[in-house]
Amino acid sequence: MENWEKLSKMPYKEIKEMQDRKLRAFIGNQIYLYSPYYSELLKQQKIDPFKIKGIEDLRHLPFTYKWDIAPTDEDPKKHKDFIIRPDEEVTEKYGHLAKMSMTGGKDLVEERVYDFKPVHIHFTTGRTALPTPFVYSKRDLENLRESGSRLMNVFEIKNTDIFVNCFPFAPHLAFWFTYFGAEKMNVAGFHSGGGKIVGTNNLMDAFEYLRPTVAVFIPGYCYYFLREAVKQGRDFSSVNKIFFGGERVPPGLKDKIKELLNQLGAGDVSVLATYGMTEAKVAWGECPSEDHYYGYHTYPDMEVFETIDPESGEPVGEGEDGEVVYTALDWRGTAVLRYRTGDIAKGGLLLEPCPNCGRTVPRISSNIQRKSEVKEFSMTKVKGTLVNLNNFFPLLMSHPDVEEWQVEMRKRNNDPFELDEIVLYVAPKGDVNRDKFVADIRQKVLRDTEVSLTDVIFKSVPELVSQLGMETELKEKRIVDNRPT
Amino acid sequence: MQAWNKISRMPAAAIKKMQDELLQKIINEEFAVRHPYYRTLFGDTGINPAEIRGVADLSRIPFTEKKDILAPPGEPLYPKQFVLEAPQDGEGKGKKKGFSLFGKKDDSSDSANYRFSSLYYTAGRTAKAVPIEYTNYDLDNLKEAGTRAFDIFGLTRDDTLINAFSYAPNAFFWQMFYSTLGIGSTSLQTGGGRVLGLEKILKAVDNLEAPVLVAAPGYALFALQTLVHFGLSAENLERVIIGVDYAPMEAVERLKKMMESVGTKKNIVQRIYFNSEAKSGWAECEPDFGYHTNPDHVLVQIVDPESGAVLGEGEKGEVVITHLDARGTTLLRFKTGDIATGGFTTEPCPNCKRTVPRIMGDIERKEFNYELQGKDGVFQFNGNNLRKKMIASENVLLWYAEINRNGSEDSLKIVVKGVSGTDEAALLKTLEQELQSEYKVPLTLESSSLDAVVNKIGLEKFITEQIFFDNRNS
Repeated sequence: MENWEKLSKMPYKEIKEMQDRKLRAFIGNQIYLYSPYYSELLKQQKIDPFKIKGIEDLRHLPFTYKWDIAPTDEDPKKHKDFIIRPDEEVTEKYGHLAKMSMTGGKDLVEERVYDFKPVHIHFTTGRTALPTPFVYSKRDLENLRESGSRLMNVFEIKNTDIFVNCFPFAPHLAFWFTYFGAEKMNVAGFHSGGGKIVGTNNLMDAFEYLRPTVAVFIPGYCYYFLREAVKQGRDFSSVNKIFFGGERVPPGLKDKIKELLNQLGAGDVSVLATYGMTEAKVAWGECPSEDHYYGYHTYPDMEVFETIDPESGEPVGEGEDGEVVYTALDWRGTAVLRYRTGDIAKGGLLLEPCPNCGRTVPRISSNIQRKSEVKEFSMTKVKGTLVNLNNFFPLLMSHPDVEEWQVEMRKRNNDPFELDEIVLYVAPKGDVNRDKFVADIRQKVLRDTEVSLTDVIFKSVPELVSQLGMETELKEKRIVDNRPT
Repeated sequence: MQAWNKISRMPAAAIKKMQDELLQKIINEEFAVRHPYYRTLFGDTGINPAEIRGVADLSRIPFTEKKDILAPPGEPLYPKQFVLEAPQDGEGKGKKKGFSLFGKKDDSSDSANYRFSSLYYTAGRTAKAVPIEYTNYDLDNLKEAGTRAFDIFGLTRDDTLINAFSYAPNAFFWQMFYSTLGIGSTSLQTGGGRVLGLEKILKAVDNLEAPVLVAAPGYALFALQTLVHFGLSAENLERVIIGVDYAPMEAVERLKKMMESVGTKKNIVQRIYFNSEAKSGWAECEPDFGYHTNPDHVLVQIVDPESGAVLGEGEKGEVVITHLDARGTTLLRFKTGDIATGGFTTEPCPNCKRTVPRIMGDIERKEFNYELQGKDGVFQFNGNNLRKKMIASENVLLWYAEINRNGSEDSLKIVVKGVSGTDEAALLKTLEQELQSEYKVPLTLESSSLDAVVNKIGLEKFITEQIFFDNRNS
């Protein structure tokens, strides 16, 4: 891993040379030898690993998809094939570190093998698929710590800050990335585990006890939490930064969060966004700015990003819209090559130095349509139309008159052969003219998703909070597909 | 570990001398100077800290209880009175720095050691949890305590471990995490049933071929009992480490049998005792050989819960802890509310030969002792004993008890879910026969559905299952 200060000032030409060098070494010395899946794939496809000279040659490798890695009932240990592991089982097939035992002795071999041993595990968060484990070696945890501290560096967090980590506890990236980053930065704080673990009131007590300067949240829960705090007249005046993970943050929601924090006594608060994925084992921070979007700063010594046309799979040019494709660089544990994230970066990959902070590392455009927001049914056919469910998020999260919402897809009379229905449950903010409100929402949903709402049902905030599972689920249930199969 | 290798082999007299020195030092250099609560207490009660020269003098200091630390309404910052203040700039500049015990740097006036690092909360069932502040100094001690516990358990980096302790911002979860990280074993921090759910935890045990499962005793029993239901295997499982909740020897025995019946590779069961206020947990090398304490971190005494008198070795009593080497939240003579049924011993462990003081027997919670109004007057009902009996009943899968008031008399209702295939009517009858004579109030037994009992006791909702429901004031 490189020095971040140095890396973030390196001209792109040097960054690319470094990536070429690291990619050659990674594929030749790690992936080809010790990754069962890729080793087999390269052989099957007759790809000479030593012909991968640099990142341009990545296109010779096939893509990896979620379903290639995800365990199935028939093959529950499929994920093991993506772990770089020079253990006996693998090396019997693919050549062995044990050859070193001729010269270095058994202990040396054991220590070398131990460098690859998984010590920490995260799972993907799919709702329908079986969760996929992604494992970290001790060395990988150093990468995780380093990347966490880099993100905090981008966010200008100092070790004099005090933070509260409100990500729900789970063996998931968000919680642990924050933990390891804070540990490396020596930032003091409280890893609460979120409202589900400690309860919303206790979490508010912790804020008042610790007087944190930084709070880390999933956006939906943050909005709920701050509203409750306002109701209780809490004092959160110490907070000056909030950063989000898990979902994207529409501009309207940022404004709502800032407004609530102002009511809680906080002054000028920065609301910051992150982008991360379990498969990449890290997350990236968006360059802080009040009025512009400068993109997420990546770590080019740990990964290579490509943006491609999601249909043809061909790379698109710098700054062009495309699907984000991730390749691990210099990792141990689970490592994937050319992983199709399904996330579309509107504005693509940016290689020019950041006009805001001057860092030279590649940036991913801020406008990412995340597949993970609505998981497996991001593009779903409702009423025969392919609906991009992602579009509900910016619309409803930002709408000034919407306090809480949930979308339900169902079948008329719960009959699988009947028509699809799409229902919006909504708790409006304050007194609204319901007829006007419904007309406005219907028109905007049609504009943004190209389907008409079957019904708009008004609910109270407590009813919706309970329906969303705000205090009981790891992540609130914003879009529910109740169509019988 | 260097310190541990020496301390765990030191003769009892040397350990006592070390504790006397540490106590004198921490009282005079920390509690009397930097501790808002005790500094005031010493002043108010006329205690001269210089006269506390060793453990024998400790009884002059009044006990601290949970109610003393809890924040009164509207005073959220009150618990900060129990946090050591950092030294002032320049303080200790003229002081000679050196090395104290086992090469540990004597840098007590280094303000970095006092800087807040992490906040944990107590995990008790009291309505309000107490914040416990850790500095980096305390986290180092917590990590050391974890390493020691794993040394006592005999775990190595080759042991894949599934940590099914419920996640909570508490020492029990974090010590286990730091231990696995420190030792370098493969581990999955599941967060327990309320985070990952039982099926996923069991799948992890199966798919990761894990030899070690860490869980609360009730959850471990339930998990193994339901393996077959999920069509999963635990054939690589060798060891279950239990703690966080009541873990009597009956739980150890039942778990061992259960492991055998589901075909685990070995059936080792070990216990660990956590106390949030002590800021770390203590392990047993083998069940019933006692929890091996860290005498350089915490002084443990056993007292009569009523009179407060310090008891002799082997006498049943309440566990009282005093920090000997801590920063952040620090406590003197804290009454934990835990009863050690076998008291305390300074004899070397007959099993592992370590010489550190050990807490013996089962750890019971005082809060499970209830006063029940019977026809012939008030009598004490020890809920811990009922738990022990129910754990030992091999046909009981899950259960809970309700204490109700019927007119002027209390009554006890026990609701049971039997293990799959059990004749529940016969089970209830047997339990009734066993229990009726013991309790001097009307006793009823009922069976209920699995879902109803799971939901009632919060098996996948709370840190530990809730067994007793005292409905008399509701």
